[in-house]
Amino acid sequence: MLLVNAITSAALNAEVIPGLSELSDSIVRESAIAFVNTTTSPGLEGATLTVDDGSRQSDQWRSSLGFAAEFTLKNVIYNGYWGLAIVGGSLDDKVELTADNGEPARLDITRDVVALRGSIGLSFPVNEHFKLRPYLSLSVSDLQTESIIAGLITTAPTGNTTTLVINTSAQMLSTTGSIDALYSRWYGDNRLELSAHYHLIYTDAFSEDNPVLETQAWNDVIQLKSRYSGPTNLTSIGRAWRWQVYANHTNFISQNKISMGYTSLFEIGAGLEWRMNIKPLDWFGWQMLGIEAGVITSEHVEGYFLGLTAR
Amino acid sequence: MKLRILLLMFSTGLLLSACIKTPALKGGDYAFIRSNYPIVSINGVDVEPLYRLDIESGENTLMIVYNTYQYDYYCTFSWVAVAGTVYEVTDQENQYPLTLYRWDKTNSLWASRLDPLDPVECVSRQRP
Repeated sequence: MLLVNAITSAALNAEVIPGLSELSDSIVRESAIAFVNTTTSPGLEGATLTVDDGSRQSDQWRSSLGFAAEFTLKNVIYNGYWGLAIVGGSLDDKVELTADNGEPARLDITRDVVALRGSIGLSFPVNEHFKLRPYLSLSVSDLQTESIIAGLITTAPTGNTTTLVINTSAQMLSTTGSIDALYSRWYGDNRLELSAHYHLIYTDAFSEDNPVLETQAWNDVIQLKSRYSGPTNLTSIGRAWRWQVYANHTNFISQNKISMGYTSLFEIGAGLEWRMNIKPLDWFGWQMLGIEAGVITSEHVEGYFLGLTAR
Repeated sequence: MKLRILLLMFSTGLLLSACIKTPALKGGDYAFIRSNYPIVSINGVDVEPLYRLDIESGENTLMIVYNTYQYDYYCTFSWVAVAGTVYEVTDQENQYPLTLYRWDKTNSLWASRLDPLDPVECVSRQRP
């Protein structure tokens, strides 16, 4: 008999899903936090990712609308740094599991997150080519999760149940300490940029309907980025366009591979940047508006990025 | 829902504060320059560090210092200032540490940085 239970006030853990001890509390926690971190961490740009490793197929996308800039502090050498972003992302994760009775079970998780992130910090120019930038980011995330477990035999009072639907929500407060090391050099009209970024993330999670997600965790992420750009003959409204190519590597160092199906990403791409050079609110310089396209790859992961960038 | 309220408050705050004002000009034959970094010399005369300055129209030469922990970069700008115009000097990771722009109020939401001018030279001096 096929019976669908919609459980909205139950925790997604082994205790309320009898017969599926493979899905432990720690996996549930880590995967929820990993999804938020791989979507909202500072330094991540938009992406569409597909994971396929046989027993797992998942589609993830993330996108952000935000801006970061330095501001001058007079009478001192260092500058200030601020950033503000709205970030959104979604995940459709399908995993084949084995129930305790040896029968296959299928877990289909859909997650959606929206987050608001603010950053503030300092920028220390060592010389005209190299600077160090430590900063702190606070982000508030709202995570909605729907989990469908199919093919599972439970001991529910109504009898055998083959499908469970579990809806949970959680709010996450993430505090991230970051340090960026930025190097740039001009070769004629061409510019080389190299940077390394380290982010240490402390996440405090709250959930009224899932006690498993009442938790906290430390994670860290490292990114290596490179970009090479040069002039073009194109102009729009008297402003020049520049071409660029880039390659980025992101490693979610402390992330367990079972959480998202990957722990690192490599992205390579190209694009055009328009030197719009405006000052919104006469407050901060917005120098470039760009369009970029890139491919993302890693073990069992394929993806792409196509979108606008601003800096 | 809470995030939407926060976003609405932030957007409203931005709109309420969105009113760009042109810096007060001295009038007559004067232009105005503001710099994110200290102006230390005006037409060959050393001055106490300044960040805002009324300048006479015509040929002007300013020296502005871009400070870093390893070096100070003394950048010399020389250009013909136009009366009633606002100029701005900032660092934008261009080929030289500093760039001079003509500042123009586009509308009440944003201003534009136009006609970028590189310094004539930037001389680096090791910090003590």
